[in-house]
Amino acid sequence: MNTDDLQLKRATSSALLSLLNLTALPVIGFIGLLYVYSKTKPNTIDRYYAVVGIKTSLLAGIALLLVTLLVILLGGFESPLTWVYVTSYFVIVHASFILFATWTLTRSWTGEKLKRQILSK
Amino acid sequence: MRETFTKGMARNIYYGGGIFFLLVLIGLSVDTVRSLPKTDNSQNLTETVAAGKRVWEVNNCIGCHSLLGEGAYFAPELGNVYTRFGESTENIKAFIKYRPVDGIPGRRSMPQFNLTEEELEAIAQFLKYTDGIKTARNWPPNIQG
Amino acid sequence: MKYESQGIAKMYFIAAIALFVGQILFGVTMGLQYVMGDFLFPEIPFNAARMVHTNLLIVWLLFGFMGSAYFLVPEEAERELYAPWLAKLMFWIFLVAGGLTILGYLLVPYARLAELTMNDLLPTMGREFLEQPTITKIGIVIVALAFVFNIGMTVLTGRKTVINLVLLTGLVGLAVFFLFSFYNPDNLVLDKYFWWFVVHLWVEGVWELIMASLLAYVLIKVTGVDREVIEKWLYIIIAMALISGLVGMGHHFFWIGAPAYWQWLGSVFSALEPIPFFMMTLFAFSVVNKRRRDHPNKAAVLWALGTAVMAFLGAGVWGFLHTLAPINYYTHGTQITAAHGHMAFYGAYVMVVLTMISYSMPLMRGKKAANVTAQKLEIRSFWMMTLSMVAITLLLTAAGTMQVYLQRYSAEPLPFMIVQDKLAIFYWLREVAGLIFLSGLFLYIYSFFAKGKEVEFIAEQAE
Ligand code: HEM
Ligand code: HEM
Ligand SMILES: [Fe+2]
Repeated sequence: MNTDDLQLKRATSSALLSLLNLTALPVIGFIGLLYVYSKTKPNTIDRYYAVVGIKTSLLAGIALLLVTLLVILLGGFESPLTWVYVTSYFVIVHASFILFATWTLTRSWTGEKLKRQILSK
Repeated sequence: MRETFTKGMARNIYYGGGIFFLLVLIGLSVDTVRSLPKTDNSQNLTETVAAGKRVWEVNNCIGCHSLLGEGAYFAPELGNVYTRFGESTENIKAFIKYRPVDGIPGRRSMPQFNLTEEELEAIAQFLKYTDGIKTARNWPPNIQG
Repeated sequence: MKYESQGIAKMYFIAAIALFVGQILFGVTMGLQYVMGDFLFPEIPFNAARMVHTNLLIVWLLFGFMGSAYFLVPEEAERELYAPWLAKLMFWIFLVAGGLTILGYLLVPYARLAELTMNDLLPTMGREFLEQPTITKIGIVIVALAFVFNIGMTVLTGRKTVINLVLLTGLVGLAVFFLFSFYNPDNLVLDKYFWWFVVHLWVEGVWELIMASLLAYVLIKVTGVDREVIEKWLYIIIAMALISGLVGMGHHFFWIGAPAYWQWLGSVFSALEPIPFFMMTLFAFSVVNKRRRDHPNKAAVLWALGTAVMAFLGAGVWGFLHTLAPINYYTHGTQITAAHGHMAFYGAYVMVVLTMISYSMPLMRGKKAANVTAQKLEIRSFWMMTLSMVAITLLLTAAGTMQVYLQRYSAEPLPFMIVQDKLAIFYWLREVAGLIFLSGLFLYIYSFFAKGKEVEFIAEQAE
């Protein structure tokens, strides 16, 4: 496998791992991402996707776990409104992250960055 | 979707998987139908109960209520109404019988169905029979349904 | 449009949209009855409005599927429709039968309708979604058979493509599983068990085949991506749909008196059901990313992407939310169910039909795509309807959570009606969102009549 193929493969792995981190394999996916990151060099497409994945995971961690935990702590375990808020918030934000990661994955398959280069295509 | 995974393989998974799980479903359904008598309260399924089910259907009660959690969510669950009404078919009959024709101003109201005594008895017996169905973990979670 | 008989789709689509309006009008009526209980009582009681709402939904989606098939199949099969006259005849039969049934719901008490249609001979009425008089059900079967015959003959005597065959399989399945609606045993548990063979095996089985093939067709057309690639996706999506969805039906057998093993089987297999919907999103995103051309019909591309995303949200995410037995124990038959039902039906089936309409209507009207203004309005109506459906779903989810907590979870559970009063604020907001949805729908219809600069012209200029 030449470097180009390897890079593309790593880019796809990163995108997939960040998706898995959000769904079936939380934490494990993240560890995988750090591992892929350690293999990449600056200014390459695989580094780019590893960073996107890590950023997504960290952001999702804060938005989903930290915020939810805070709301439960502040709102109280026994209050129905806490649960009303937590369910609606968690489902919609979680789903949004998954959709974003899905988009990332399909972009990584094209070997380009996230934003479509309108002129070059 | 790498090239090693061909369209032919995808098609085989579709046919193979689809047919296999259809057969599994049929097998499970046969087993379910066989073992239903243990839970379905069919020993109490009398002629009156069957007639009551018809009354339930032709008045479209399911259009407002849920029964064992299925139906509409506008009015209370009725799978356990017999218990909720103090295990009395008379209470159920009285409730249905005395619904005001024009409803209760400003509130959700149940229509007056003008049921005959016979129909009232049948529907009440049907609800009693339904309450006797052994649902897993005794669903609904509590008496409020 | 390559074949003249494809044009038959147009009348089907017009009828579909008209009935869609009726559906939503009754939706907002019910939404109001939720908070103003005496609204239209006793003239149109809630249960009558609900039947009209849900049955119109099913009927117009069927019109939409049929129209889509009449448009798609001749082109894929590379021949005219087998019997165009039959398609036209069935259109009128279905429309009249459907119209009379809805009028029946509204004009006479349901028990009287049952009597008039001699329900006693073969009692099938009075079960959710299957409220139609037996005679209407027989009519539906006849229409479905004639339709499947017509489409089937076209496919079998023409070019057979994967899209054609998958669509045909889905349509045959639709007709076959509907036959379970004639089985109505006195034993309630048995009745409930086989009732799901219509409802679940439709929306989480054969309809997914229909949806996936329609989506694949439109995506081939608007992106120009290689058919081989798209067909592979199509197979693997529907494979996952059947592998997860058939036994996944167990998620409806938790609390109706069925054997305990369904708790496990239903939970595990239905937890896999989001996969095909997720793959549709992946599929749509990836082919749009790899598109070979920019199709002038931007609205159709948006609808196609929107379908994939919203179906994943409504069916996949909101389905998963309450599909595991320990959770469903609390949420079964609450507003959570209603939240999921709305977004899933809208995201998957409403949107896929609107995608087909968006793609095919301009072609049937003799252009590549609607004019610039019309597309702009259509896209705006897309966002109005879609976002208000998201709002409706979130509000019902909030209401449902509160309901579960107060009525089922808390140490001192409150009676149903007391809890409903406490949810009024959510229901009012849902009604507002419903009215925005309705306005979006009107805008959508208006977009068909809007005049503006033609896109072909612009496309040519750009070349
Ligand atoms: C936009 C305004 C709408 C409003 C205000 C509305 C309102 C309602 C209400 C109040 C119910 C009855 C809930 C109950 O049983 O208590 C209902 C049921 C239903 N509606 Fe709608 N609806 C709307 C739009 C739609 C749309 C666009 C769809 C389809 C895509 C739809 C599909 C359904 C279905 C499938 C049910 C049965 C739900 C179930 O059994 O869980 N509705 N709707
Ligand atoms: C497009 C596909 C789907 C549609 C149109 C749809 C629609 C519906 C509707 C209308 C109901 C209410 C039925 C009733 O009135 O009792 C329902 C119930 C349910 N659906 Fe779906 N659904 C879809 C996919 C899914 C998926 C993929 C899952 C699981 C991951 C799921 C899980 C459930 C569950 C667990 C219930 C029972 C809710 C209860 O216990 O009350 N659905 N669905
Ligand atoms: Fe289901």
